[in-house]
Amino acid sequence: MTQARGQVDRSPVVPSPSDDSAALETLRDRLQEFKNEPGSLLEALYVAQDMFGYVTPASIDMVSEELGYPEAHVFGVVTFYTLFYTEPQPKHIVRICRDLSCHIAGAEKIIERARKEIGAHPGEASADGVLKLELVSCIGQCEKQPALMVNLDVHGPVSEQGVSDLIRRLREEDQ
Amino acid sequence: MPEVLAVNKNISIENSWQLPIFERGGGYSRAKRALGTMQPEELIALMETSGLKGRGGAFFPTGMKWKFVRADPNTPRYVIANGDESEPGTFCNRINMEMDPHLFIEGMIIAAYAVDSNFAYIYIRGEYGRAIERVGEALADCYANGILGDDVLGTGYKLDMRLRRGAGAYICGEETALFNSLEGKRGNPRFKPPFPTNSGVWKKPTVINNIETYACVPLIVENGAEWFQNLGEGDDNAGTKIYCLSGSINNPGVYELPMGVTAREVIFGYGGGLPEGRTLKGFKPGGASASVLTPDQLDVRLDPSIAKYDTIMGTGGIIVIDDTVCMVDAAYRDALFFEEESCGFCIPCREGTPNLVQILERLMHGQGVIDDLRLMGEIGDSMASSFCGLGQFAYRPVVGAAKKYHDEFVAHVEGSCPAGTCPIARN
Ligand SMILES: Cc1cc2nc3c(=O)[nH]c(=O)nc-3n(C[C@H](O)[C@H](O)[C@H](O)COP(=O)(O)O)c2cc1C
Ligand code: SF4
Ligand code: FES
Repeated sequence: MTQARGQVDRSPVVPSPSDDSAALETLRDRLQEFKNEPGSLLEALYVAQDMFGYVTPASIDMVSEELGYPEAHVFGVVTFYTLFYTEPQPKHIVRICRDLSCHIAGAEKIIERARKEIGAHPGEASADGVLKLELVSCIGQCEKQPALMVNLDVHGPVSEQGVSDLIRRLREEDQ
Repeated sequence: MPEVLAVNKNISIENSWQLPIFERGGGYSRAKRALGTMQPEELIALMETSGLKGRGGAFFPTGMKWKFVRADPNTPRYVIANGDESEPGTFCNRINMEMDPHLFIEGMIIAAYAVDSNFAYIYIRGEYGRAIERVGEALADCYANGILGDDVLGTGYKLDMRLRRGAGAYICGEETALFNSLEGKRGNPRFKPPFPTNSGVWKKPTVINNIETYACVPLIVENGAEWFQNLGEGDDNAGTKIYCLSGSINNPGVYELPMGVTAREVIFGYGGGLPEGRTLKGFKPGGASASVLTPDQLDVRLDPSIAKYDTIMGTGGIIVIDDTVCMVDAAYRDALFFEEESCGFCIPCREGTPNLVQILERLMHGQGVIDDLRLMGEIGDSMASSFCGLGQFAYRPVVGAAKKYHDEFVAHVEGSCPAGTCPIARN
């Protein structure tokens, strides 16, 4: 799947969360339930991503080993789905919908404001490393147009002031 | 005319998603009756006479689909609920999953019994956090209360049901891509035929229906086929449709209405019309995939027959466009969506979607030439041969807008935006 226009993945700003051997053993334990559940690769990858913040190279190895997929298969699946990441991610991903209903309801201004507040272009982490803006396809919250999600938390309709306040709150929360 | 409340009857009750509340309203009594007192063939016939057609956009007769699956001797058979809902402008499945998850689960139980299946999946797009939570809770409650498992509702029927999450891919709403995703693969579509009824998930006979389709099923068992038929507008339409309204509209939201009401009724009757000072420029009747219709087409019926106006009913996501919206920009939004969501498997779609985006970007930045309009049509012609429905539909809203709003597109070639709102106007 192509990256949205203007989105460039930059090298990680946030230090990678540890996937030391103890954490990997926990992952191994948690993967056991998927062995009896044919096809549950996406669920297994969610577990890895929830533990480490992204699907780390070591967890790709572990998932392929435990569930019996070739590594290339697991990597191919991870990179197919936009909710999976192969790089460390900022704590808050601000996903603003850029599709038609939200566009009509003023998404462009919200995106502009968020870009300024975050201080980075879509797809890039903020200088302090806690925030990232993503321009995403319809999130199915169109009655809340213009709508956005912080990770999976839905907000809308959002105003320009609202998006400024929201980003400030997220930054404060992190201190 | 008030809204018709059938599928959405419970959604505004307090704690509507909880099992005791659902049961108080008759919940699971229909499945109990179906499994305990009716023959599978009888249920399939009931669905056939009710006129229920799939709400996922293709409107395939549900009873016939079930019949095909049951007729295939290959086992095991599977039942799947498609909750991937990712068409821009569409959010009705989300509301049903969040507010009344047991209703469609009850429909799935009845479907499973009708086709003799003991295993079902619910596939929900990964972005739908609350729906995932509520459906997960609902399934746990079902297992804890003998509604799922080895003895469904005390009838001795065995049915297991699993919730699976998508992870951000519109294409996984396409049934064969969804099967691949469920099998732990990339969500690329498969060649059809064979059709899912004979070769679905794990290459086994599979019933796959939309969330809203399943939600209709218990109501048909409860109230009868005739009741359901009569809910629709005109002879060809059965049941209600949950229309989603968004864009330039006073009251965005979901409206459950007779299948086949007119766009005028939905937009101006239920939706309260456009915000003050805005006038209608066009509307898309079925999300991004649907070509725009013009204000003189407000009296068309919102049902599958809308195809005769070169658009589609899709999932009933109506997007209202006002005079301040630049139609080149609107077409660009659709093109961007399809470019982003193209799975990259076949060339016409993988190459065609970014080409359309580039042309529309040129037009919006004053760099377009008149030949671009012809070129868009040519790209569209090549995309018609795409592997799956995504590519086969993706170009139509773009080419359709360029045809219907030809003068506006030409104005962009000449360096101006009549609506005054796209980048060309800001330079
Ligand atoms: C690109 C594409 C996306 C689709 N997305 C969905 C979807 O999100 N939900 C859905 O129910 N059907 C979707 N469909 C239609 C399904 O392939 C399938 O026809 C439908 O789930 C069958 O259920 P129904 O008969 O109840 O409508 C999509 C089709 C295509 C071509
Ligand atoms: S038409 Fe598009 S989405 Fe469908 S298979 Fe081809 S590239 Fe994938
Ligand atoms: S178009 Fe923005 S949430 Fe649907």
